[in-house]
Amino acid sequence: MSSSFHLDLDRCSGCFACTVACLDQNDIEVHDEPAAWRQVFAVESGEYPDAHLRYVSLACMHCEDAPCLLACPTGAVRRDVATQAVQVEADLCIGCHSCSIACPFGVPRFGVDGKMEKCDLCGERLKYGLEPACVRVCPTRALACGSPNELGASVSRRAARRLADEGEKS
Amino acid sequence: MDARERKLRAKIPGSDTGIEVCKSICAICDPTTQCGLDLSIRDGRIIKVEGSRENPHNGGTLCCKGAATRQYVYNEDRLRTPLRRTGPRGSGRFESISWDEALDTIVDNLERVRARSGPEAAVFYVGYPKQMRPFVQRLAMQFGSPNFCTESSTCFTATAMAFKLVYGQMAGPDVAHTRCLLAWSANPFYSNTPAARGLLDAIDRGMRLIVVDPRCTPLASRADIHLQLVPGSDGALALGMAHVIIEEGLYDREFVAAFAHGFADFRTYVAGFDPQRVERITGVPAEKIRAAARLYATAAPAAILPSAAPVGHNTNGVQNYRAVFSLIGLTGNFDVEGGNRVTPYSWLEVGGAGFVTRQHEFEMPRPWSDLAPRVGSARFPVWADLVDQAQAMDLPRQIRTGDPYPLRALVAFGLNHRMFPDSAGFLESLQQLEFICDIDLFATGSSRYADIVLPACSSVERSELRCYPEQYVALSQPAIAPIGESRSDTDIVFDLARRLALADPLLNPGPGGEVEPADAFDAALDWILAPSGMSVAELKKHPGGMPVPNPLKYVARKYREVGFPTPTGKMEFASSLLDRYSTELGVDALPTYRPPRYSAEGSPDLARDYPLILNTGSRLPMFVHSRTYRLPWTNGLRPRPTADLNPADARRLGIEEGDEIDLSTPAGAIRVHAGLTELARPGVVHMYHGHPEADVNLLLEADYLDPISGFPGFKALLCRVEKVSSRRDAEESPLADHTHERSGAGNE
Repeated sequence: MSSSFHLDLDRCSGCFACTVACLDQNDIEVHDEPAAWRQVFAVESGEYPDAHLRYVSLACMHCEDAPCLLACPTGAVRRDVATQAVQVEADLCIGCHSCSIACPFGVPRFGVDGKMEKCDLCGERLKYGLEPACVRVCPTRALACGSPNELGASVSRRAARRLADEGEKS
Repeated sequence: MDARERKLRAKIPGSDTGIEVCKSICAICDPTTQCGLDLSIRDGRIIKVEGSRENPHNGGTLCCKGAATRQYVYNEDRLRTPLRRTGPRGSGRFESISWDEALDTIVDNLERVRARSGPEAAVFYVGYPKQMRPFVQRLAMQFGSPNFCTESSTCFTATAMAFKLVYGQMAGPDVAHTRCLLAWSANPFYSNTPAARGLLDAIDRGMRLIVVDPRCTPLASRADIHLQLVPGSDGALALGMAHVIIEEGLYDREFVAAFAHGFADFRTYVAGFDPQRVERITGVPAEKIRAAARLYATAAPAAILPSAAPVGHNTNGVQNYRAVFSLIGLTGNFDVEGGNRVTPYSWLEVGGAGFVTRQHEFEMPRPWSDLAPRVGSARFPVWADLVDQAQAMDLPRQIRTGDPYPLRALVAFGLNHRMFPDSAGFLESLQQLEFICDIDLFATGSSRYADIVLPACSSVERSELRCYPEQYVALSQPAIAPIGESRSDTDIVFDLARRLALADPLLNPGPGGEVEPADAFDAALDWILAPSGMSVAELKKHPGGMPVPNPLKYVARKYREVGFPTPTGKMEFASSLLDRYSTELGVDALPTYRPPRYSAEGSPDLARDYPLILNTGSRLPMFVHSRTYRLPWTNGLRPRPTADLNPADARRLGIEEGDEIDLSTPAGAIRVHAGLTELARPGVVHMYHGHPEADVNLLLEADYLDPISGFPGFKALLCRVEKVSSRRDAEESPLADHTHERSGAGNE
């Protein structure tokens, strides 16, 4: 069964806990460039007094039809059999950045050795029944990880409740 | 890579990887959060950090600061041995010495100062964390000094004072049961992250939310009504809401008639605060003020969520918060389920944990009347009447003038000069002291001024008692060995008590007695915990904490039986205590509104040259005071000192994102980068405090203080912003050298 991330945009508050938990899990050193595999963005729209601020936490989507995987000329980007996560085999990476050009989410990062690095869905943790570090840390429970259909069903359940509540109010 | 290597790389605990999970607590922020930690440890070293699931406060989660624990604990700035200063103060030249030599030097100096100038000439100070406070306060008082002061001279206490002046006690919001939450300048998403989840859950179940905040915070963006007021105008807004509630007959007549003092005068006063006038003062549309007042007054039950400091950080801060808190009684929401409830105080600023302790008896072993007057007691008499500490904001003045008596020695746990307005002036005043000891985790800009520096442990290296409003309690145990020769702050207190030969069996049990000196901390905790029925032995069996056994049940409307602990025994719309000081301090018994001393309304001449409002220290998600600037993982999220301003103001000033700007007041200037964001209201500039390269407290005068609390007006003054390149030459800095001083941030 494949796993993927889900982000509840109503709950993400841009607190960066996911970013730092990922740095801690993966022992990533921070220098001058944005090296984190999970990034948080503040998205602003409108102007005072009607300004609106929203936040988005973004990492590899582990796409089913992953453009990075297709673009990789050496087979360094591959799919893990057990978790279906898109992963990188550093030994095979030649640092050509094709994956970076192909990725619609700007996910690939390149370490000091020039090789591609990115979120591996904490695949090894999943095998032992542990959530990805970013999901575990999330203080508002905005981030989740699981089968896309099950995650979708839980979103539907919340939407159903909202619809019922609205119906009751009106 | 084989299976074991993959497990090791993923840090999976187990006997094959040698990774063990140990329980601890995070004390990077303090005191109402302190999440439970699961530390993954291999070969005695932490390799990964998670939140403890069994701790109901954080439920397995953390914030970005706690997630960076490893860079905090293993930071290269950690002090490793006791140090003695060898160069001039501030030079940073020290030599390592032994603990015995360091502690004996401190004791020699304290005894010399006491013999010559009296015990009150020694000042004891505690910054962050807070766990050693009761122990240091007892040490100070048993030594004979009334001068125990803390970081609470600028945080939280003004909120507590405002509550005490109105109700004689604090009353916290019952978020779990309320139908409407009025969050007044609070944003737990940044300041108390675990609480944010509870708020979102409450919103999901239909709780209505009103947020009062100058910023467009994550909480404000989820509000039904966001009252985005001009910083410092909180009092006027609250009085405007009271005006609507009274005018429309939405107040609790029965409560006000039976249990309130001064309502008639209050009613007359708020008659002048019609929403149109309040709109002109606060910038909040009159219709929104009406809507918020109606929603809060009619939701029943409705609760007010205050914050630790923002409203109090104003030259009229206590009066402004009194006006806000008056709304609770006015609407009958005091001490009711779903309103603001009075719950018994448990331990270390946490109330409602379901048990009581002897903390107060422990930290106050003798009455104030036994001792000399406290620092700040003449200048801030309301503080002295309501708060069992000295007011540290008066330290620099008394050090300089020796009035009413000279101060000669300072023993500080976590000293941070950047906490003080006019932080450079505070450092200068330290030069006049004969002896300074600073006990800290890190080498800081403040510890450079100490004669003796002692290395303290972080929370994961020691034991401390912590309780949570979810009726949960933990006595943490060391998860790793102390870094270098560092020791727990409380161990240092007990060692000093022994060397000072204090006649106090709790602090200095003495050899051969019932309690061995090594067990003094546990014995003192057992004494403190006695009324709770819990013991250290029981708590030690649960290193990740345990539910409080037989927690105290909440009883509503206790005032019907026992009245209010105020001078009149009633809720006081008009304060009897402030009435006593009305002439001396120029304050009113009613919660009157006055604009910030430096504001367009309060100082129009100044506002011509300094047209923007400066709001300092409003929380950001990655920083808590100065404590995480030195961690690359958190500092990297906002790597340059940055002032946030609204894009419309920036356009007008020709400033673009990231531009270098000079931020100035008549008191000084700092050079920072511009952050353009709709988070900021037009006309307001936000600068986070304590930055080692751009200390915004240099822009405040030392006496920019609320006369009631002594709190600095950090959240409302006037400033000017100029783009650097628009002037002569970016290299020709007009700034004083000290603003560019590169030093570690203090462990405030």
